[in-house]
Parts: sequence; structure tokens; C-alpha cells
Amino acid sequence: MSKQVIFNLPVKNLEKSKAFFASLGFGFNPNMSNESAAMVVIEKDKISAMLTTEDFFRSLIDKPVAQAKEANEVIICLMCETREEVAGLVEKAVAAGGRAPHPLEDHGFMVTQGFEDIDGHLWNLVWMAPA
Amino acid sequence: MNKQIFVNLPVKDLDKSKAFFNALGYGFNPQFTNESGACMVIAEGSIYAMLLTEPFFKTFIDKPIVQAKEATEVLVCLSCESREEVDGLVAKAVAAGGHTPRPPQDHGFMYAHAFEDLDGHIWELVWMAPQA
Repeated sequence: MSKQVIFNLPVKNLEKSKAFFASLGFGFNPNMSNESAAMVVIEKDKISAMLTTEDFFRSLIDKPVAQAKEANEVIICLMCETREEVAGLVEKAVAAGGRAPHPLEDHGFMVTQGFEDIDGHLWNLVWMAPA
Repeated sequence: MNKQIFVNLPVKDLDKSKAFFNALGYGFNPQFTNESGACMVIAEGSIYAMLLTEPFFKTFIDKPIVQAKEATEVLVCLSCESREEVDGLVAKAVAAGGHTPRPPQDHGFMYAHAFEDLDGHIWELVWMAPQA
């Protein structure tokens, strides 16, 4: 079985966060979703994000939940297949209530831009020219 | 979407963090490693962690950095091949200066444990029984 990674991220309102990621085009794994968490499939059987209500997230840790709109512990960087996918996802994220903290950076061989989701978590999108 | 992901995490002392994850058995990609960041290979070709010095991490965000020993924004959960791999990684993490926030959870078909790295980032390790 290949290595899988799942990012557990606390969210304020699970339904709103599900709607946000659905509008970006991501699907969910219903077998791993309930009223406390929803699994966003980024790359099937390989990369997922578990959106977790703050109450449930708190039950998993022995520290306070960081408020991601105020400070960040992580930037999740995803590789995109085209330049257009980078800009397209950021556009959808902003339209769905997210924020783009930085303008798009175009280095020719590499294009990158990030968005902040509705809870303040940071996602960075990168396209690199095939080597 | 491509099949690669880079988890960017701020660290206080890059050399110490590299030594910590080395002790757990992870290697680094020298092509994407310099004095400000180190590219740790979790699964070649798909999953990487970028350990970034706090000053460098700060250049990517317009907010303060969370002090992960005090509050948590993310749990990075990795699948393991066996219960022994789960326990082995936690034991190595503790020996290398990390700590484990809780005892392992054994649900029979699923076995999970976790460690906190030197900076307080929490890594969850999960083994799940192969589906019949």
C-alpha cells in the first residue's frame, strides 16, 4: 500500500468548509465523513484533508487549537498540472469566501499563488514546467 | 492536481530538526535543501515536508507564526505499513528529543499513535488492517 498523508485541520463550521472545498472542485470520501469531520480527497488514496470541527479537533490534542486567521503553523503546498489550474483554484477560492494573500508569481518555469481558506489555513499552489 | 504535496512547517533550529527526522529514518533531497529550508522525503515522488527556518517561513505569510508547542493548527497523519512501524517511529521520536502526547490507540483493525517533534508539530501515525 502506498504511503498516505492526511491533514487534520480544525474548522469553525463544517458545512461551510465543505461547501468551500466543494466549490473548488474537490470531492469527499463519505466513508470517512460524519457530523464532526469530512474528508476532502486531494489525490485518491494518497493525499487527503480531514476538516474537523474545533470541538473534535480539541479532543485529539492536549494544547489549544490555533486560530489560523491570526497565526499559522503550516502551509500546505500542492502541485498543479497547469499554470491555469493555479490561477483557477485561487479565483474559485476567493469567489467562495477565501482570500489571496499574495499576487500570482510567474517565474516562467514556475508559477505560484496561495489562498487562505475560510478558516485561515494556507494553501499554496505551484506549477512547474516539466524538467 | 498532481500527485505531490509539500507540507511546509516552521522550525526553530534547522540542523536540529534535520537531525531529529534523520534519526527517524527520513532522508532529505539536497537539491531543495539550503540554509533556510530542508526538503524531507516522506514518500519519494509524492509526499514531502519542507522544514523552514522561522524567518524564511515568515516571508510566505502575512500573519505571525504559531508557536506549535503552545497551540496546534494541523495534525499531519501518515499511514504506516505495520503496527511495528507506528511504534518504532514513536520510539525513535521520543529517543531523539520529541515526545508522545498520549498512549497508542488500538482498535484492532486500526492502530494509531502520535509524536510531537522538537518544535511541537504533531505527527499522527496510523496502521489500518488491509481490507478483506
